Amino acid sequence: MTFESVLAQARAEKRTLLSEVEAKEVLREAGVPATATTLATTREQAQGQAEAMGYPVVLKVVSPGIAHKSDVGGVKLNLLNRDAVGAAFDEIMANARRAEPNASILGVSVQQMAKQGTEVIIGMTTDPQFGPVMMFGLGGIMVEVLKDVSFRLVPLSDRDAGQMIDEIKGRPVLSGVRGQPPADIDALKKAILQVSQFVENHPEVRELDLNPVFAYPDGAIAVDARIVVSEA
Amino acid sequence: MAVPGHRLDRMFNPKTVVVIGDKGPMYMWCQGNLPFKANGGNLYSVQIDEKEIPGIEALGITNYRSLADIPEPIDYAVVAVPRHVSPYVLKDLVAVSAAGAGFFTSGFAETGEDLGIKLQEQLTSMAREASFNLVGPNCMGLYLPKAGVRFSGDVPVATDGKIGFLSQSGTHGIMFSLVAGAHGLHLSRCASFGNAIVLDVSDYLEYLALDDETEVIGMYVEGVKNGRKFFDTLRMASQRKPVVVWKGGQTEAGARATMSHTGSLAAPQAVWDGMMRQCGAITTNSLDETIDVVQLLLRSKLPKGPNMALLAMTGGQSVSITDAFAKAGLRVPRLSEQSYRELGEFFNIVGGSYQNPLDMAGTIQGSPEMLDRILRILDADPNIDGMAMELSAMFGTRQWKARPDSLDKMLDTLRDHMERSPRPFQVVMHPAHEETYVASIKQKFWERGIPLLPSFDRAAAASARAVSWATR
Repeated sequence: MTFESVLAQARAEKRTLLSEVEAKEVLREAGVPATATTLATTREQAQGQAEAMGYPVVLKVVSPGIAHKSDVGGVKLNLLNRDAVGAAFDEIMANARRAEPNASILGVSVQQMAKQGTEVIIGMTTDPQFGPVMMFGLGGIMVEVLKDVSFRLVPLSDRDAGQMIDEIKGRPVLSGVRGQPPADIDALKKAILQVSQFVENHPEVRELDLNPVFAYPDGAIAVDARIVVSEA
Repeated sequence: MAVPGHRLDRMFNPKTVVVIGDKGPMYMWCQGNLPFKANGGNLYSVQIDEKEIPGIEALGITNYRSLADIPEPIDYAVVAVPRHVSPYVLKDLVAVSAAGAGFFTSGFAETGEDLGIKLQEQLTSMAREASFNLVGPNCMGLYLPKAGVRFSGDVPVATDGKIGFLSQSGTHGIMFSLVAGAHGLHLSRCASFGNAIVLDVSDYLEYLALDDETEVIGMYVEGVKNGRKFFDTLRMASQRKPVVVWKGGQTEAGARATMSHTGSLAAPQAVWDGMMRQCGAITTNSLDETIDVVQLLLRSKLPKGPNMALLAMTGGQSVSITDAFAKAGLRVPRLSEQSYRELGEFFNIVGGSYQNPLDMAGTIQGSPEMLDRILRILDADPNIDGMAMELSAMFGTRQWKARPDSLDKMLDTLRDHMERSPRPFQVVMHPAHEETYVASIKQKFWERGIPLLPSFDRAAAASARAVSWATR
């Protein structure tokens, strides 16, 4: 699915929030590294998709009415084979129906399970005066509590992306602390630039959050993605 | 030099200036612009109030009762009429094809009341429709020191100005101009632009970026109307010359104050900071910080890196200057082995040190030759990108007062060093107990082009900004 078709679908349904499946699909299409994520509406479909993707996988409930998926038992991690995927599918659907009987449940997303890395956030917001602004920070409390984030206006140059990473206070964490290997700074820079390019190409995107992105010694990948588009 | 073809060019290089609605007893706008007339410019008044006309004519300024009667094309007008009259004046200015006007008149959207907001909307739509160069309103307008067009009777008339200054606040525009003047530094062109309803900071900034007479640009800004245009213009300007941006309303409380001052909405400070760095602009937080970095940029050479040689007269000051520069992010490295060898040949280490920082009063003993020898060694040191030297008003004043030529000789030595050296140099002198005396000798520094800063903290902050700009 192209960005245009996803956008058209969302607008037809009067949505401004893209689903995680849609968001990751359009980002992957734009070259932004994100875990493969597909929508399954049946047990068999989920199993087939998991087989094609390779194990381990994660299953998450897909429902516009359910914001906090884990709270309703709507997330199953580290599924290693076909049977586990089938059982998880049934369990998630049952849990979701029990917890939110009135929510429309579209199915379950099947996702590659990425191994844990250093968590960072790459985001974009639209400032009323300056337009699209990119944000970078370390995941978790560094962003939420300490507001340790850096900003640049879209479009970014290579140098801007490098400075964004270097100027956060938690920067030493990315060089490896407590025996952790250093994060692949070039991969993070590239991801920031790809998101900047994506946003520049699609002015309909108003907000974007890759949270978290796992940074590894080689490479980086977004494991969750959220995109808000403008109203038609 | 002008910028031919730019929409602000005529206004910034006026041959005919008109003051509209000036009032006694001060006649501040007529008085302020008398130097323009003395320089050969056409200065006229428009005033219909019979009581005011004799006072204006007494200043030697011809008064007309209508703009249409002015015999020359109007390049710039100062509008100081009551707010409800301002739309009529604007209509007349458009009708005579004036090149631009600064509206001193206030009482518009900044009041937050309906009448003010309506009047501002009216001015805005009239000016936009006519593509009229409206400066302000709620501002002091243009200050063109070379032409003699002034927004205050106190600011200097000068032909050697190199600083372009833009200010959303009239007070900061005037005060910067005065304080720069007190530092022996003058402005090329200045605009105080208040509510910025038609021309915004980006329009003026573009002009100053293209203007050859302007070597450094400074600005005080509380908010911008068109963020993207500002971003693009600031980036373009910063590629041509240093642009120092002093942002007002950096705190939540300060941002509330900008709302009632100029009606500016603030972007989150972190977004602003990121944009500044992206543009390559130099950011400051106060008038003093702005003046300090502008002084360094104009008087000192640009640093190639952060490595400082710090020269103090005594031990305690050598520690303090080092802490100040290191805290500001500069480096105070060891000197080269060759420097140590050469300094070791004569340096008095009893009550002195030359490790970097240097504690050197005991070695110099008031001798300019000895000072020169030290400066030459440091200037040849490959580990060093720049120098800052403390002068002690506390210890020096008694001798300088008794023998003024001793001060002159030392300053000549410093001037010769600055002319010879490719590296930045500055003097830091706390006035100590001799404020009046120190104020009286500043001119000696200015005429030799020696930057003088009043404290280690200010000197270090200015150096750090110059380094970050030069190595951006």
